[in-house]
Amino acid sequence: MSLLEVRGITMRFGGLTAVDDVSFNVDQGQIFAVIGPNGAGKTTLFNAITGVYEPTEGSVRFKGSPVRLEPDARLAWRAAVVAILAGLSAFLAINVQELWTVGIAANYVLNQPFPWGKAAGDALAAARAVPFAWGVLPAILGAGVGAGTVVALWQRSRRTPDLIARAGLARTFQNIRLFTDLSLVENVLVGMDSRMHSGFWTNLFRLPAFSRERAWTEREALDLLAFVGLSERAHEAAGSLPYGHRRRLEIARALASRPAVLLLDEPAAGMNPSEVVELMDLIRRVRDRGVTVILIEHHMKLVMGISDRIVVLQYGKLIGQGTPAEIRADRRCIEAYLGTEGEG
Amino acid sequence: MRRLPMPILAYFAVMSALPLFMGTTGLFYDAFQAIFVFSLVGLGLNVVTGFTGLLNLGMAAFMAIGAYTFAILTSDIYPFQIGFWWGILATVAIGAVAGFLLGAPTLGLSGDYLAIVTMGFGEITLDVLKNLDAVTKGTQGINPLPRPTFGPWTLELQQERGWYWLLLGFVLLAVLAVRRLERSRSGRAWLSIREDALASQCMGIPPKRTKMIAFATGSALAALGGALFAALLSSTGEPASYDFQVSILALCIVIVGGMGSVAGTLVGAVVMVGMNSLVLVKLADWAGAAGVGNASNVLASPNNWKYLIFGLALILVVRLKPDGLLPPRLEGGSS
Repeated sequence: MSLLEVRGITMRFGGLTAVDDVSFNVDQGQIFAVIGPNGAGKTTLFNAITGVYEPTEGSVRFKGSPVRLEPDARLAWRAAVVAILAGLSAFLAINVQELWTVGIAANYVLNQPFPWGKAAGDALAAARAVPFAWGVLPAILGAGVGAGTVVALWQRSRRTPDLIARAGLARTFQNIRLFTDLSLVENVLVGMDSRMHSGFWTNLFRLPAFSRERAWTEREALDLLAFVGLSERAHEAAGSLPYGHRRRLEIARALASRPAVLLLDEPAAGMNPSEVVELMDLIRRVRDRGVTVILIEHHMKLVMGISDRIVVLQYGKLIGQGTPAEIRADRRCIEAYLGTEGEG
Repeated sequence: MRRLPMPILAYFAVMSALPLFMGTTGLFYDAFQAIFVFSLVGLGLNVVTGFTGLLNLGMAAFMAIGAYTFAILTSDIYPFQIGFWWGILATVAIGAVAGFLLGAPTLGLSGDYLAIVTMGFGEITLDVLKNLDAVTKGTQGINPLPRPTFGPWTLELQQERGWYWLLLGFVLLAVLAVRRLERSRSGRAWLSIREDALASQCMGIPPKRTKMIAFATGSALAALGGALFAALLSSTGEPASYDFQVSILALCIVIVGGMGSVAGTLVGAVVMVGMNSLVLVKLADWAGAAGVGNASNVLASPNNWKYLIFGLALILVVRLKPDGLLPPRLEGGSS
């Protein structure tokens, strides 16, 4: 069984088919490259895998099963929303103003003890006097609308990027997307979020769990920055980093969740040759940590130098896959990617 | 806990000492009590808009919900009468619940749409308060409200210094709470959504839940501000005291002070509300004494220049210091 199985992914945007029936398997511990000319659908494929887009057709299986929210997740919370909406609609329809007047205003005399039982009885009687349709129907309607919305939202949220990231697929972006006003450490700590447990109250009241978690997460964030070679700027704003370093920070941030798979979208774009060599070394070291790497890249020296397996996309279709040596020998791939001989 | 940064410490040092030089009553107290109430509302909006990047134009509605919740639960015209401190606690809780209820269906909306929805929510809240008069007493407002008690001692309405310090104490609590959240996992999640919503989600941060928590926190602080505002006047005042202008004032405070900056929000409240309740009032007095001012002439009364001056201040700040007077500064490390 492969770690990641892409099964017949198709992405259509209106009449445009950006990715057309693409299937491949990625095995544990590989460095796997996706290559192809500009506009071949590589980034769209990444977005479909990481949940940014919902694939028009096809599926992605990770560790043997599809990544999505199970039906029972937070069921109680959803039921509560429906119940509150139902109650609120009934309450409003029965007429809050009247209930208040009959129950509270009529029974309360200044500075006298308030007869709670009688007030509740009066209010209930007033509610009972309301025709059935006015009270129960709105409640049913409210529950129906609530349940419909909850189901619709739940369906939409079943395969979102945050769930997929939490399952162990981390990514970087073609046009680097850092949190520029946060420091380097904070960027990495955001990446580590899925491994943290401290909730709102723990953080607000600074319970012991807060300090314990802060200690190990900050230590690990600094270790990760050291791993990508940025530790001396750890507390500067990410926005102040030069371009080449931003890629490294993005990789550190993605690694912070301890992903099983790291997807890199054109990591070498805009880098000079010596930076590319450093990047190749970094990607190998990431693989040696046990992370499977999938990368989109145009830089042939990098792709051929480090990949275990390569797939080639053209016009959204998968036109070849194999080891670097096989791809280099495949005429179709060469034509698609490098142009036919004589064209230059 | 690491220490508060210098500007915040300086603010609280100066503010807590200031009444010692200002006598025991007068305009100073009116102005600064309002400043502290709006500092609370501003801090709430700073969580929502400054940290999380969600434009909320309905802060006044949450203030109103706070004021009326507090009033209904504590006033002796109703049977609940749970007392000042329980009333404050209940108000904060109900403010948070109101934030959740508004947030649940709307926080999927992006940017401008959310702003429109919150604006509409503000208007609807006003209409409900006006028309549900069996409960809210319509335009009269609910009064009287109880005074805070400290053991055997009760803080009376005319004890201006006591109220001043009480409100300052609440602002301090709110600042501590907001700073603690900001420098923690919760706050980092908020900031990451503001910085880049897609990247944040791809790092495993659930956008909706995170936004809901920010929204509820902000609403709870605004409700606290509203409850104290009502307690200070011993009346909720008329529903129109929580109109759209108030939401805009809260937004001005955050923008002038510096989006996402706690210290900035405190300064923004002093500048914006101080201008309204101190500078303009003084100006009106002075104009009256000099025989220039004339209450019957719309243009001659400085009070009518309020929104012009607000607007001018906003334009100046945005032109000269686009990040606000005290922009958020990156602090070493996290928490």
